[in-house]
Amino acid sequence: MGAAKQALRATASQAPGISMADGGLDRALPAQQAAAGRKVLPIVEGAVLIAALIVPLVLQDYLTVFATRVIILALFALSFDLVWGYAGIMSFGQALFFGSAGYGVALMARDLNITSIFLVLPAGTLIGLTTSLLLGGFLLLGRHPSSVIFVALGTLTGSYAADRLARGWYYLGGQNGIPSIPSMSLGSYDITEGPVYYYFALGTLVVVYLLCRFLVRSQFGLALAGLRENEQRIAFFGYKAQHLKAIVFAVGGTIAGLAGSLYAFHEGFVWPNMVGVVISTQVVLYVLFGGSGTLIGAVIGAVIIEGVSFWLSDNYRDIWPILLGVLLLLVILFRPLGLISFVLGERERVGSFGAGPKEKRNAAP
Amino acid sequence: MASTFVAAFEILSFGAIIVLVVLGLGIIASMMGIFNFAQGEFVLLGAYVTYLAHSRGIPIWAGMVAAPFIVGGLGFVLEALIIRRFYAAPIVAMLGTYALGLIVRESVRGLIGGFYLTVPEPIGGSIDIGTMHISAWRFTIIVITLLVMAGCYLLLSRTSFGLRVRATLENPALARASGISTPLIYGATFAFGAALAGLAGALIVPVFSLFADLGIRFLIQGFVAVMVGGVGSFIGPVAGAGVIGTLSAALPWVMAPVVADVLVFVLAIVFIKFRPQGLIAGKGV
Repeated sequence: MGAAKQALRATASQAPGISMADGGLDRALPAQQAAAGRKVLPIVEGAVLIAALIVPLVLQDYLTVFATRVIILALFALSFDLVWGYAGIMSFGQALFFGSAGYGVALMARDLNITSIFLVLPAGTLIGLTTSLLLGGFLLLGRHPSSVIFVALGTLTGSYAADRLARGWYYLGGQNGIPSIPSMSLGSYDITEGPVYYYFALGTLVVVYLLCRFLVRSQFGLALAGLRENEQRIAFFGYKAQHLKAIVFAVGGTIAGLAGSLYAFHEGFVWPNMVGVVISTQVVLYVLFGGSGTLIGAVIGAVIIEGVSFWLSDNYRDIWPILLGVLLLLVILFRPLGLISFVLGERERVGSFGAGPKEKRNAAP
Repeated sequence: MASTFVAAFEILSFGAIIVLVVLGLGIIASMMGIFNFAQGEFVLLGAYVTYLAHSRGIPIWAGMVAAPFIVGGLGFVLEALIIRRFYAAPIVAMLGTYALGLIVRESVRGLIGGFYLTVPEPIGGSIDIGTMHISAWRFTIIVITLLVMAGCYLLLSRTSFGLRVRATLENPALARASGISTPLIYGATFAFGAALAGLAGALIVPVFSLFADLGIRFLIQGFVAVMVGGVGSFIGPVAGAGVIGTLSAALPWVMAPVVADVLVFVLAIVFIKFRPQGLIAGKGV
């Protein structure tokens, strides 16, 4: 029992510590950067944004549709990254919020004929917020702090149960889900898949990204970083660690809800996998692969995994999942900070918080 | 009367299957503090070995005997190569074992395709009690589950190996200082848990037939059972498995299956929330 319980207890401080474990390898890099006064992160972000802006101009139409899907999944990955990479909450059921928002807007479109963008997107976002508040409140709050394992398994079970419910409930379409959802509309204009939808999704992603960036660089973000590094110490400082966690969890759920409603209208149908374990683990893969604890890492992870998967699916459909497993294992074993850590130093990843560059307070311990 | 008896038998036999699957999961979770996401794939591998033996013309029971040894051996190798690096961080262990499971599952899917492959029961027919008929093979599963449970209990509580395992669990530093090779014990424990999963897979494949997602089906149920029972002892997860298995088999008889399915999970999570130590808390075997 000792070891198991110790392990459970230790999780709080150690689990996020993994992401730190690799710091030693990169020590040299930030030192150089600091000396030269260079910052890599804005360059990477700018490059990704420029690439994203010109993509529809050079791609064929069917590829733009695919790229739109990737953008929406990147938004979803952002929500998981916020929860795991910044607050150290392992949400193995992030698809629950993604999928229930998707189902929610699909039902609105099917039964109430509401497709106006000003109604469906807020509604989907609200569904994400509500479900994540309820689940997060139940799992995270309470007299005794919950163990990380419990939260991970609780979210996983929630997602699995929702999947089973969606499969068995006739009103939700059972196994087949809800097909042929009408397009989202702006006044009398239908937003159908293609460049317009692409730029709309991209705009949403950029706005949400900037909001998240502001959030994780604020004093709130500093408290989160402390929470991730050493939850107990943050609690001793007088922060309500559980409340902080519940708030981040709800923010993550909200973003996932927004992504889910965009996804439902883009694909034109929703199906049980969307709330289930499949998508839940998919988003974990994106973030781990790209680099948890950096917002851009989540986006890059989603783009790379989906891109390679799309590229390989013609000829190597069978071996791709195996390859994905091998890659994931290699990343976990040798690059716990993800691909982004090849270019991004540890100091810049942790970053600085609160006030602007003039009175920079360095949070790195 | 007869239908009540059949229902009771169904519930009992499903409970036995869940217990069988959870045994290995529980031992690894309790004795090593690792929630092994690849456990479902060990079950799948056990089933696959049995199928392979059958398709090569080897008697099925021989495949069933071989399955635990092959899967256990694989578990030992995986522990030495990969799992060993995860002990400090349980969440990373979850992700790492998930990746392992993904590799195994997709490899098996590549080998068998998207089919449902049936394997006949080595002991066919039914046992007649008065006017009632119960499946002989399901009855055998119940008996074997009881034997394996008793065997594991005796192994952990009565043998010097069990003592070493418990010592390693209780206080790894002291165990090392007393001359116990803790890496070897961890390896052996993991291999043992994997072997139990292999056995479970071999025994249930005639009931559920072989398909790539066979293991996943039981994984989450297994985790929930372990948490409900209580991590840290041998009896805890078994008790949890008994409760979860019985509930998930019994509730569909009294309400809509969909509702029952979801209700079991909801009840379990609520229970764990308010009693994190599980049904059976504390030390012991």
